Amino acid sequence: MIRLENVTKSYSTEIVAVKDASFDVAKGEFVFLVGPSGSGKSTLLRMLNRQDRPERGAVWVAGRNIVDLPSGRIPMLRRNIGNIFQDYKLLLEKNVFENVAFAQEVIGRPQHVIRQQVPAVLDLVGLAGKEERLPNQLSGGEQQRVSIARAFVNRPLILLADEPTGNLDPATGEGIMRLLDRINKTGTTIVMATHDQRIVNTMRKRVIQLDRGIIVRDQARGVYE
Amino acid sequence: MFSRTRYVFRETFDSFRRNATLTIASIITAAISLLGVGLTLLSQEGFDNLLSKWEGGVEMIIFMRPDVTDDQRALIESSLDQNNQFIESWTYCDVDCSLAERDRVLAAEPGVKDLLNADNIPTQYKAVPTEATDVQLLRQVSEAFSEGPGVFEVVFAEDQISLIEQLQSFFGFRLFLLSGFLLLAAILLIWNTIRTAIFARRREIEVMKLVGATDWFIRVPFMLEGLLHGVIGGALASLGLGIWNSQWTSGVQGFPPNSGFASLVVTSGYDKTVMLYMLIIGAVAGAIGSGIAASRFLDV
Repeated sequence: MIRLENVTKSYSTEIVAVKDASFDVAKGEFVFLVGPSGSGKSTLLRMLNRQDRPERGAVWVAGRNIVDLPSGRIPMLRRNIGNIFQDYKLLLEKNVFENVAFAQEVIGRPQHVIRQQVPAVLDLVGLAGKEERLPNQLSGGEQQRVSIARAFVNRPLILLADEPTGNLDPATGEGIMRLLDRINKTGTTIVMATHDQRIVNTMRKRVIQLDRGIIVRDQARGVYE
Repeated sequence: MFSRTRYVFRETFDSFRRNATLTIASIITAAISLLGVGLTLLSQEGFDNLLSKWEGGVEMIIFMRPDVTDDQRALIESSLDQNNQFIESWTYCDVDCSLAERDRVLAAEPGVKDLLNADNIPTQYKAVPTEATDVQLLRQVSEAFSEGPGVFEVVFAEDQISLIEQLQSFFGFRLFLLSGFLLLAAILLIWNTIRTAIFARRREIEVMKLVGATDWFIRVPFMLEGLLHGVIGGALASLGLGIWNSQWTSGVQGFPPNSGFASLVVTSGYDKTVMLYMLIIGAVAGAIGSGIAASRFLDV
């Protein structure tokens, strides 16, 4: 599903964000990217949805090298990738339903499909009955669930999660991870950057560890070190 | 398709609501600048009316002395006929005709009017030269006739035509320049409004891009917004122009006859054409301003 071949990305001559990174992620796999701040986790995620381009190497997503993807084709790529962020990136003046529906509207889904799929995904993430609430009327965990619903409503092949539990207390974080695990079990590939040692150790999924842009460990059913 | 159209209009009006102050400022600026453009076009048409009146039948007028004899008149008439290469046609305005003209032309000046009576009013030969706009030829013809027997004075439209052309050029150029600047200001303000709207919605745009919205899908509501600024500005300017033209038309009716201003009234339906132009120019200005902003600042 994802393949990186000798990928290097730097922001200046001194700052090398990712250096010569190579790995494969199979369809339906759950992968943690771990490492200290500035180790290149977020840069890797940004390269997977073509928010950033590497200077060298190839990034294959769903069988296509996206490094030289024409800008007009990027939206099509992103329709297969859901994004979850630490700060949720919800639209504050839209309610829960509208936030999730927005992801479908902007890719031209018809209203009858939206009316059918949004309640279903809100039910999946445990927000049924809260459709009319605004983001500021929800807890942090609930806001992250809205963000996950929005990322998942178009049934992407891949979910990229950048510190999704970073702003949440441990109990709420565990709830979010259970939800991501359920989504992963539907066949969705998940790549998640995290600092959360407890979550990594509990989940026992594949762990790719980065240190100053270099992959220093790639371990199946790994733990945080 | 319906879903997409609904989305575009909803987002456009949402943006209108969120940036109400800037939107109003942008629409007013567009309206004022377009009104300037409209007034320029209308005044040009007015001056053209004024000129065409003279160009269509410029009359060289030979005023005869009140004591002119029949022989002297016969000689002038014979000269007018002989000069048919210069004079296309002529008519004689006798004492009664001249008194009637006095009543019309000097209606607003009763003191002057009363000084002229059947005994002292000059009668007139009104001649239509063949080359009405050739000022030099007119000058030569008028000089020849001014030395004829019984001739009091020869006048022709040269000076008035020159004055009108001078006025047309003076006002036309300056109004055009002013309108151009105002139009540029309107485009820049629309551009800035759209830029601000894009900045205000940068979070949404980021989300839209991440879920796979195309650039055009994101751009269209902003472009529609700018287009509407221009069109609403154009509609307001059209309304203003309609009011102005109607006020001017009724105002000119109160001016003295033959004052020349009546020709500046545009009633031929051209005012409607100018209104349509203003809507089109407004739409184009709005589309340009918003199109540039939406293309340039979308990368948020």
